[in-house]
Amino acid sequence: MEEDSYMPGCLNPVWPCALTGAVTALSGFSGIAVVIHGSSGCYFYPATLLHHDLHSTFLVEQEVIFGTSERLVEVVKDLSRTYKKVAVVNSCVPSILGEDIRDILSDYNIIFIDSPGFTGEFESGYLSAVKDLPVCMGQGTDRVNIEGINLIDPFARGNQREAERLLQLMGVPVGTIFCHDSYESLSSTAGFSVTVNPDLSTGYGQELGSFLGLSAIKTTAYSIADRFCKAETRGIENELLMVEERITKAADKYLKRFDPPTAAIFSTCSYSGFAAAILQQYLDADIVYCGLRNEPQISCTPATKVTSLAIIESVIRELAPDLVIGSSFERSVAGDAAFIGLTPPIRGEFRLSSKPLAGTEGELSFMEDILNACMDYQQRKLVK
Amino acid sequence: MSLNPLPLSISRTGGCTLTGALSVTTGINDSVTIIHGPAGCAHHNFSLLHATILDNDCHIIPKVMSSGMSEHDVIFGGEEALMRSIMEVSSGDPGIIFVLSTCITETIGDDVLAVTQNAGVPVCMVPTGGFLGGDFEKGFSSALIAVSNLALPVHPTPGCNQQVRGSVNLIGEKNLEYEVEQNFMEVKRLVSLLDLTINLRFAHNITRSDINRLPLASLNILREPALSGVGDHLQSMFGTPYISSFPLGISGTLSFIRNVAVRSGLSPDEALDSEKEHQEEIFEGFSDLREALVRLTIPAENPEYPLITEISRAIGLRESPDGTVLPVPYPFPVGTSGIKRMLHLWRRTLICRAA
Repeated sequence: MEEDSYMPGCLNPVWPCALTGAVTALSGFSGIAVVIHGSSGCYFYPATLLHHDLHSTFLVEQEVIFGTSERLVEVVKDLSRTYKKVAVVNSCVPSILGEDIRDILSDYNIIFIDSPGFTGEFESGYLSAVKDLPVCMGQGTDRVNIEGINLIDPFARGNQREAERLLQLMGVPVGTIFCHDSYESLSSTAGFSVTVNPDLSTGYGQELGSFLGLSAIKTTAYSIADRFCKAETRGIENELLMVEERITKAADKYLKRFDPPTAAIFSTCSYSGFAAAILQQYLDADIVYCGLRNEPQISCTPATKVTSLAIIESVIRELAPDLVIGSSFERSVAGDAAFIGLTPPIRGEFRLSSKPLAGTEGELSFMEDILNACMDYQQRKLVK
Repeated sequence: MSLNPLPLSISRTGGCTLTGALSVTTGINDSVTIIHGPAGCAHHNFSLLHATILDNDCHIIPKVMSSGMSEHDVIFGGEEALMRSIMEVSSGDPGIIFVLSTCITETIGDDVLAVTQNAGVPVCMVPTGGFLGGDFEKGFSSALIAVSNLALPVHPTPGCNQQVRGSVNLIGEKNLEYEVEQNFMEVKRLVSLLDLTINLRFAHNITRSDINRLPLASLNILREPALSGVGDHLQSMFGTPYISSFPLGISGTLSFIRNVAVRSGLSPDEALDSEKEHQEEIFEGFSDLREALVRLTIPAENPEYPLITEISRAIGLRESPDGTVLPVPYPFPVGTSGIKRMLHLWRRTLICRAA
């Protein structure tokens, strides 16, 4: 069942490549023109995923034969007139060709990210792009950066708002938001950071913790208060108590009628850990499988990296969990199980509001989804 | 965005051959398609296919395998990775294995054809090469031709015509388009006016063994004229004549019926009368739009321009610079039913404008 035994091939891969990760990170900063140095095929996928104004050299065969420099200069020159910065992300073929892109574009103010798809998956591209951003650590000890915003994440907008709200509640100003801010914000990033998704921590600023999960929020709030003498923790403490009480009450009501669910979780490491913890803590759920899209970083529960939908389908079929948590890929093979969307892409449903996963509102919202999905599932079972 | 025209008439934004080829190979339900390249290429395309099947309420998930090419394979060659993937897939005994090459394997020079020929199991290689092999359309027609070569040849037997008279094949339906089933139903309805049936949807929701029926129809109907190369190939292989497009527009739909009838040795008169009556009934249902002021933004040299003006006049719309701009779906609606759906869209647009 483990993916290692399935290598080297991957049947129906469900996770994007490094190029998509790099483009996602860079396109989060307004003022930066993101150019995919590659063909239209490499351009269309991130463009449709991000719904963002991306650019490309749209390479054709003759440029691969005779060199891509002329085309690259033409595109970058054009964009340099209207954007403060141009970021060029290398795709597989130009990377193999080995042209010296920095030298070709030495007359232009560019960021160059060599992040072809064959070098890794989404997270590696995202982090490599962030590492090469022209970040200038300002004095910045009076503000806190927010990290872990990923524009393909369906919870990105909600997470950002929730992190901003919690910092505001503590009276702490927000620094740079990685990766959803302006290009100018990079010139004076703060010396401290909190994250809403620890898988995407950038290393800029001293890490003060995470807003993903109630216990993490509490620790992080105290950590912030240690550094900021004016920071107020009482508001957050009150909120945490209220949230815990509301969730416990709802979960107790559920457990009066139904057995704890068995659950299979398919997501990135941090999100999987968050989901597993909340299920175990409030519903005494049995996590029968935890499949990770990226490399395991922290071990919250026994987890395996799995990015093949064929394996995911066989896991779900074999373990028959009550609840499947994942992306629309998992939903299509979840059968009769209850389903909750946690992992991109989440298609086939309308998502208009800014739903968070992080923060106290994220905890409430996610638990609400779990309880409603499990209740529907139990009622369907009763009818059968 | 710079889209500098090249000296040659090559489109920069034509998409990837892989996507075009996959939209054919994944139409064969018991197939597995191996993309020889990094997992990202397979994911991009699988994700697109998955989104399409969700949109079309289809529950068959196509099997797209990546050879999982890594940086190591890029440096030392990826042929072993491909061979391992073929062996792994063949152990599951699929109806047919397709192999598509990517721009990466083209660049590093993997001999994909040699690997497939030495695999010891039947494998159909589709020449793609990512963007180095052309664009979406090229991948699409290359795959149709490669798959058609799997059909058993027709051996002419004296006194025995193996072709199924009274049936047609649909060639190259756009499996990624949202209204693919509606277009199929419309063509099926129109040919049924001539008492003809559909022999094979090539390649939509079929199996490997269904491909053997390809030579048996008496006529091939191509989805669009860009597939004429495929039509020629099938004609030379199996002697089947073809019509170059699904029906578009009012008179285009009537011409379609006439052409199908003539190619099938049938009289079109009764079917034409029936369809004309059907069209008139539909236009009557939109008589409330008569005299509405509209503006057509399609350039006159565009092939869709005469189709739109013909429909506009049939309804009695009036062209005016101050008129409402009417939306024209892409691809252009198929047949009379497609026109009817577009007219509902026009009515909604005119009502919204008036409100």
